[in-house]
Amino acid sequence: MVRRIGPFLFAFAIAVALIGAPRPWARGLPTIAAASDLQFALGEVAEAFTEETGRQVKLIFGSSGNFYRQIQQGAPFHMYLSADEEFVLDLAKKGFTPDRGALYAIGRIVIITPHGSPLKPDGGLKHLGAALRDGWLRKFAIANPDHAPYGRRAEEALRHAGLWDALRGKLVLGENVSQAAQFATSGSAQGGIIAHSLALSPNVSKLGTFAPIPQSWHKPLRQRMALLKGANDTARRFYGFMREPGGRAILRRHGFVLPGGTR
Amino acid sequence: MDWEALWLSVRLGGLSVLILVPIAIVVGRWLAVTAASGKSLIEASLALPLVLPPTVLGFYLLVAFGAGSWVGRLWQDVFGHTLVFTFEGLLIASIIVNIPFAVQPIQRAFEAISPDLREAAACCGLSWWRSLWRIELPLAWPGILTGMVLTFAHTLGEFGVVLMVGGSIPGETRTIAIAIYDRVQAFDEASAGKMAAVLLLISLVTITLSYLLTQRVRRRHD
Amino acid sequence: MTDAAGLSIRLDQDRPIPLSIELSAVPGEILAIVGPSGSGKSTTLRVVAGLHRPSAGRIVCNGTTWLDTKAGIDVPARRRRVGLVFQSYALFPHLTALENVVEALQDRPPQARRDEGRALLQRIRLDGLEDRLPRQLSGGQQQRVAVARALARRPDVLLLDEPFTAVDRVTRHRLVRELADLRQDLPMPVLLVTHDLDEAARLADRICVVHRGRTLQTASPESLMARPASPLVARLVNLRNVFSGHVTGHSADRGVTFIEWQGRTIEAGLSDAFDSGARVAWCIPADSIIVHRRDRPSQGERENPLSGIVGEAVRLGETTELVVVVGGDDREPFHLAIPTHVARRNGIDVGAEVGFSIRAEAVHLMPAEPDGGEHSASD
Repeated sequence: MVRRIGPFLFAFAIAVALIGAPRPWARGLPTIAAASDLQFALGEVAEAFTEETGRQVKLIFGSSGNFYRQIQQGAPFHMYLSADEEFVLDLAKKGFTPDRGALYAIGRIVIITPHGSPLKPDGGLKHLGAALRDGWLRKFAIANPDHAPYGRRAEEALRHAGLWDALRGKLVLGENVSQAAQFATSGSAQGGIIAHSLALSPNVSKLGTFAPIPQSWHKPLRQRMALLKGANDTARRFYGFMREPGGRAILRRHGFVLPGGTR
Repeated sequence: MDWEALWLSVRLGGLSVLILVPIAIVVGRWLAVTAASGKSLIEASLALPLVLPPTVLGFYLLVAFGAGSWVGRLWQDVFGHTLVFTFEGLLIASIIVNIPFAVQPIQRAFEAISPDLREAAACCGLSWWRSLWRIELPLAWPGILTGMVLTFAHTLGEFGVVLMVGGSIPGETRTIAIAIYDRVQAFDEASAGKMAAVLLLISLVTITLSYLLTQRVRRRHD
Repeated sequence: MTDAAGLSIRLDQDRPIPLSIELSAVPGEILAIVGPSGSGKSTTLRVVAGLHRPSAGRIVCNGTTWLDTKAGIDVPARRRRVGLVFQSYALFPHLTALENVVEALQDRPPQARRDEGRALLQRIRLDGLEDRLPRQLSGGQQQRVAVARALARRPDVLLLDEPFTAVDRVTRHRLVRELADLRQDLPMPVLLVTHDLDEAARLADRICVVHRGRTLQTASPESLMARPASPLVARLVNLRNVFSGHVTGHSADRGVTFIEWQGRTIEAGLSDAFDSGARVAWCIPADSIIVHRRDRPSQGERENPLSGIVGEAVRLGETTELVVVVGGDDREPFHLAIPTHVARRNGIDVGAEVGFSIRAEAVHLMPAEPDGGEHSASD
């Protein structure tokens, strides 16, 4: 008899364990969706925030365009930091945010090449042009221009340099700028265009060398953030912290240009 | 090492098994014996998740569960939050994605039972339930076990659909597979490597265990 | 059809295989259903068990209607009290011999089941093997477990579907003998499906011949062998001496009917149901053909004396089977069997002339087959 009900008891015990067990990890922390160029900078901001206020936030990094879509489908985020202000402004227009949010930084793009790459990083992209002409460039990484703001700016810069059409067949597209950085420094591509903030981080800077691309070659990367409907108090305070000197200093150190004031 | 993500994956896999396998037993048993005219179409539909790219499934689930659909709205009215980007939504997606992994081995197992035995059970006066419980389930057990293991292991490894309907929210929808992806994105290869190794180990242990059990059951039966 | 005790069956269907079956069996009777493969005998059994539903039919068992397609009655298999022994035995492979039997005892109180199961296994002399799994038992032992399991339900009817085909010949003979012993204790009608006529003749009270889904004749083994209803039945029961001819007249005084066969006149017992001049088939059982012996002439030799040339002689141990061609026409030869020592002593071998008589009383007349009738009665 025991043998017969044994499996039932076993399954029941597992069910209880899986459903009923208290989740050992805290819930109710506000989730903050951030563009992946903030991968390293925002982590530091969050640490400083916790130190100062004793409160914690959960950070998710990804492509600004994906978050933009997910928010419209009801993703339970409290705050959204986009690499492109258009996404935030559009969400504001559609009523997903209480207001138009705030400009928190202006991003910059750089060309980065991994150690050992024949490609030299120069901000004027001259050597990249030479590599294309001579035909030895194999792969070059940027973020997907379809939905990643850094990808769009990279495309604009490459068009400005007159390299876009020649380079098209050699591009590898990262799902977001962080993945583009991954591709650019892995050694499988000879280089790529990524966010300055990422290039500055120790994890990336040890893999290659970079040079900034002139800001005039592309539209500005105006990065805007906004609280979302249902943001809790911690999220609001984090939003405020981003605009205080403590938060701004960290962003500046990570290579962002800070806006003079808020708009 | 993201223990939270691992625990989430294990919970997701376990619950998928617990919910899906009883359904798969009923459906698989029916498919094994039925001569219904639409059988091939039903079998084909159930096998779809096997051949469809996860992105296609993810897209449809997103549309079906999203705030714009009636399912999504109904869920929101009842539970007060959306179905996408929640653990519950992930669980439903996981169950749908795993249907062929659970149904097919179980159906094959029931098909392998000689019709004579089913008829002998009826001639012995066994009720439908007793016949299922006493005769068919023990004989189909290796197939059921395979269905359970495949479902669990596949849930642990599912990436594409989770990425699309989950949204990588820690403690809610960030599974171990997504966590590994996130860690790689963050240039944190040490953590990614550790988690990948743990996932590999768990998968290997689960599948080995099921092979051992199946072998033991087979030895007992023939 | 009597609905009181026993089983009565009437089935009609066109598809999937045509069935036109009518038979009945009384309690304690063994009725063998015999016919070539595909004749519908197993299907008939499955219909009785409730495993197959014919398009039209009626089955009544001990006054209870199990199936009546007109009245919309179809009692499911699990509620008909039938014991079915499958050709494959269909023992539950994961249960022991005892558990297999106990499974069929669900209507008994739980404490009594195991004791009763043990008693049943003891009755078929399987005590000591209760805890063996089917694969650990020999073919004969498996068959006995299957019989015990079928009897465990105290069935209103016992159905045996080719129960002896899956075992070797020696075991088979033993099992047939055991079943013959067991039958005294069987209070219910027993339907035995087999393609083996010897088996049927040895076990059954009556034999029902089925061909292409139709019951042709139901009779005791003896009368079936002596008086088949048609040339087709005669062939199906392995009667080989079937001939064609026509009636030339009757003699009521002598109790004789005259048949013309290949220019000869054969005397048969009086069967005035056939008009003079009617085309008929006639047959004679092999044991009613008397071979003339030089050493010991006998009385019967005067009836229908014939002689012919031995075309084939096959020696099968103690008996020798002969094919004898009479009058040079080898289309309708006689098949007869004589003791081998008789053949030897009388110099009967291929090419020799042999004389024999056929007993007029044993000549059996049947309606002639229509032209183009069925000649394919092979198994």
